[in-house]
Amino acid sequence: MTIAVERLDELVTALRTVLRDEQILTSKPDRYNRARVPAPFPVHRWSERLPDLAVLPTSTEEVAGVVRIANDLRVPVVPRDGGTGLTDGAVPLRGGIVVDVKRMNAIKELDLANRTVTVGTGINMLKLNEQLARHGLFYPDDPASYPCSLVGGRIGTSGWSLIGSRYGHTRDLVLSFDHVLPTGEVMHVGDGVGHKVSKSSSGYQLKHLFMGHQGTLGIATAATLKLFPKPEAELSPFWAFDNYDDAYACVGALARAGAATFAGAVLFDEWKVAYLRRDDEAYIPQPGDVRALVCAVMYGYEDEVRPAGKRLFRIAKEHGARYLGDEISQGDWAARHDRYATPLHGRTKAGQVVPMSWHCEDAAINYTDLPSVTKSWHEIVADLRRRTDVFDDWGMFAYTSGSTGVDYLTEIDVGIWEQQLDDRAWEMWVKAKRDLAAVALAHHGSISACHGSCREGEVDLVPDELGRGFDVMLDIKRALDPNNIMNPGKYLLDRAYEAGTRS
Amino acid sequence: MTQLDGPGASDPVSVPFTPGMRDNPEELAAIPDEIVRAHVLPPGPTRSQEFSEQWRNAAYSCFSSGHKFCREVCPVTQVTRNESWTPTAFHANVVAMDKGEMTIEEIAADYVNCTQCGACELRCPNTLFTGDFYRFRTRTVDVVKAVRAFAVESGVHQPAWQSWNERTDERSHEPVLGQTAVSQEHVRDWSDGLDLPIGGETVLFVDCEAAFYRTSVPRAVAQILQLAGYEFGLMGNQWCCGGPAAEMGYVDQAKRFAQHNLDDWRSTGTKRLLVLDPHDYISFTEDYPKYFGADFDIEVVLVVELFAELIREGKLTPRVPVERAITYHDPCRLNKRKGIWKEPREILRSIPGLDFKDVDRVTQWSYCSGGGGGLPVEKPELTAAISASRLENAARLDVDTLVSACPWSERPLGEAGEAADIDVVDIHEMLAESLGIEVGGSRGGSEGSGARGGDRS
Repeated sequence: MTIAVERLDELVTALRTVLRDEQILTSKPDRYNRARVPAPFPVHRWSERLPDLAVLPTSTEEVAGVVRIANDLRVPVVPRDGGTGLTDGAVPLRGGIVVDVKRMNAIKELDLANRTVTVGTGINMLKLNEQLARHGLFYPDDPASYPCSLVGGRIGTSGWSLIGSRYGHTRDLVLSFDHVLPTGEVMHVGDGVGHKVSKSSSGYQLKHLFMGHQGTLGIATAATLKLFPKPEAELSPFWAFDNYDDAYACVGALARAGAATFAGAVLFDEWKVAYLRRDDEAYIPQPGDVRALVCAVMYGYEDEVRPAGKRLFRIAKEHGARYLGDEISQGDWAARHDRYATPLHGRTKAGQVVPMSWHCEDAAINYTDLPSVTKSWHEIVADLRRRTDVFDDWGMFAYTSGSTGVDYLTEIDVGIWEQQLDDRAWEMWVKAKRDLAAVALAHHGSISACHGSCREGEVDLVPDELGRGFDVMLDIKRALDPNNIMNPGKYLLDRAYEAGTRS
Repeated sequence: MTQLDGPGASDPVSVPFTPGMRDNPEELAAIPDEIVRAHVLPPGPTRSQEFSEQWRNAAYSCFSSGHKFCREVCPVTQVTRNESWTPTAFHANVVAMDKGEMTIEEIAADYVNCTQCGACELRCPNTLFTGDFYRFRTRTVDVVKAVRAFAVESGVHQPAWQSWNERTDERSHEPVLGQTAVSQEHVRDWSDGLDLPIGGETVLFVDCEAAFYRTSVPRAVAQILQLAGYEFGLMGNQWCCGGPAAEMGYVDQAKRFAQHNLDDWRSTGTKRLLVLDPHDYISFTEDYPKYFGADFDIEVVLVVELFAELIREGKLTPRVPVERAITYHDPCRLNKRKGIWKEPREILRSIPGLDFKDVDRVTQWSYCSGGGGGLPVEKPELTAAISASRLENAARLDVDTLVSACPWSERPLGEAGEAADIDVVDIHEMLAESLGIEVGGSRGGSEGSGARGGDRS
């Protein structure tokens, strides 16, 4: 459903009433470069996922104006912030307008007394922290894409943070925000209400509703964020194990220890270690007897991190851990974002190195179900790999996303040789994603994690996971977006408008 | 619970393995493949597809990475926030050409928006952790140069670049003074009164901007060399190094200029080239070896490195205090492209009186003057915005002076500095001052005739 040429002219004319010409982009490269995210992408069908145009607003009013016009003309709107999300939220499925908020990146107010900062949602966390560092503060939202993802995208996807056990995740760190509804109305939303308030009990708790909707319920334009003291000390020990079972037992024990400075722990499985071992230059050189790795991370003041670290070291030792040394531990944790995206390890079964893209599937899984899910997921990817070298198993890791270690964000990384993608390979991949999601649900996990749930394949299982809750989603979508202009085609929400649904 | 338990352990794909290892079971490589086929160009490939063929692996390496860590360090992205003008877009466009989705005519204009500073390459995970082990290192600068060259070859021109290169060709120098003509008769005017010989084993190569606009820089360099007793001469018939033409895609012209210069060095028995401009340093250490291979047997010496060495050896001793609060701007082509960041700091630390508020070189990956890659010729407003942003960073350090080591950066930085009340000084000039040298010459500004791209007629 792209727009017919004559309607495109009408749309551009209307947009010129709220934007300057240079904010309206219609060229092919402008459209192609706003159609793609790092998620699995059928590059051979790139042209099917293009917007008709992109706009670069600089204020909430401009965003509202664009959305109002789109609603009047029944044109799809797709919000795009960093475009680094893995759920396909920023990928246009029906053409329309991509609202790219990158120019809304100002720091509007820094409130040192209440420890908040108010920013345009187009600001990047790393850039924000460069400014905050001068005041001894930081904003601790830490996704793998930290160097390039933007605050608005974090709101739209309600992302998890690698150090969330200590500081909370995006939903905890964003106090409130300005939000443009699908009709173009503007509201300010917090927990209930409020600007700089973290506890509010007035009315429904609306903040969560307008986070993680993948752009289907509007566009966040300015946000007020919680700030913390920039940590004085950081401890990030990496430990090696000669078997997965001990590493698994160890990571659970570390998370359950309840140390206040504990920010997270990560478990790397045998496939991940084998993957990392492919390239000595790229990662920790691992001797052959290393079969699994565990990393724990602590942040805080020196005099609280030190004793907590001692406790965790003691626990690790009791579980047969071998400490990999300060140099590896510090270096590797410091490089966590870059390592995550290193895409060079794609190899065919015979060993040929080929450019592959990094893709991942994940779910929140209870600690006790980790080994079983891990095993099943590898079997699914092994089946793909058995059939073709388009796919490569890059191993799994799991990290705690809650301070008590109740569940782990569990991720399998899959290399995809995009130069070889065709319809058949794409279908194999989509089916595999559906199968991976089904395993998660069978273990009472949630696929509604940061890398899935809304995109082709796993999205099919969202109604199963949510049950009656999915119908509530449809009701809300229909009420707030009567013309289905916000990111249509996502999350199966088109069902809200199908004949036979309640009006 | 153990991962390797259970059925399937005998299947080689079901267990963790490292592809390509000699001890892998043979059957791994023998499994038939349902999808993978050898890559072949489509029948009757378009010119764009023929071009993308040579860059497709490099472009897919970036495209596949997906994450765009390059973006927030890119000077153009920082001021435009336009995703079409990001380093990753420059690779994605090549993938689109490979897929037959776009043509050079459609993408050429986007490639103006790059200063070729190289920050994106450093920030790319491809580069950070694997070096060039697989020969997949991200080479955005090369891709941008290649696409620009392909555009020119295809008859797709950017107006200001075309005019700039025509005038460079006409005069054998870049038109850095706008309508004021520069010519061979004036190429050594900057050295009036210094009594420098022509030719010899070592010659000092002076870039167009320094030779005609900011003449205080080559004067400072020449006088410091004289003070140190370092023997050198000037070129007999010096043409532009050809680097800017190469950067803008005018490759034939760049090669012709290079050939002229090489012939001229040979005619004067020159074995060593002293270079004060980082852009020239790139031309002589990267472009010329590509053009001439082993035939290019000239030693290239960067003056900043030489001065640091002379100070270390005690042959130069800065004594006159320079009472300024300074910070240093790492020129992109030294710090990011060539990894040269220690020596300028050594020089600055040897100058008495300076209050030096340094910014580390990694932080400076995201800094740029905007003066490179032909950007100021086509989009002077972007150059000005990038320079203004650089000066904002300097102003936060509460300094009165920004020191650079690149004449091409100093015009835009200087203009932005006027607004921020920060003086922009060249490191060679500052060293000369501390050595008690009266430099003379021009620092551009009102003595010049407007911005670099000011006259595009």
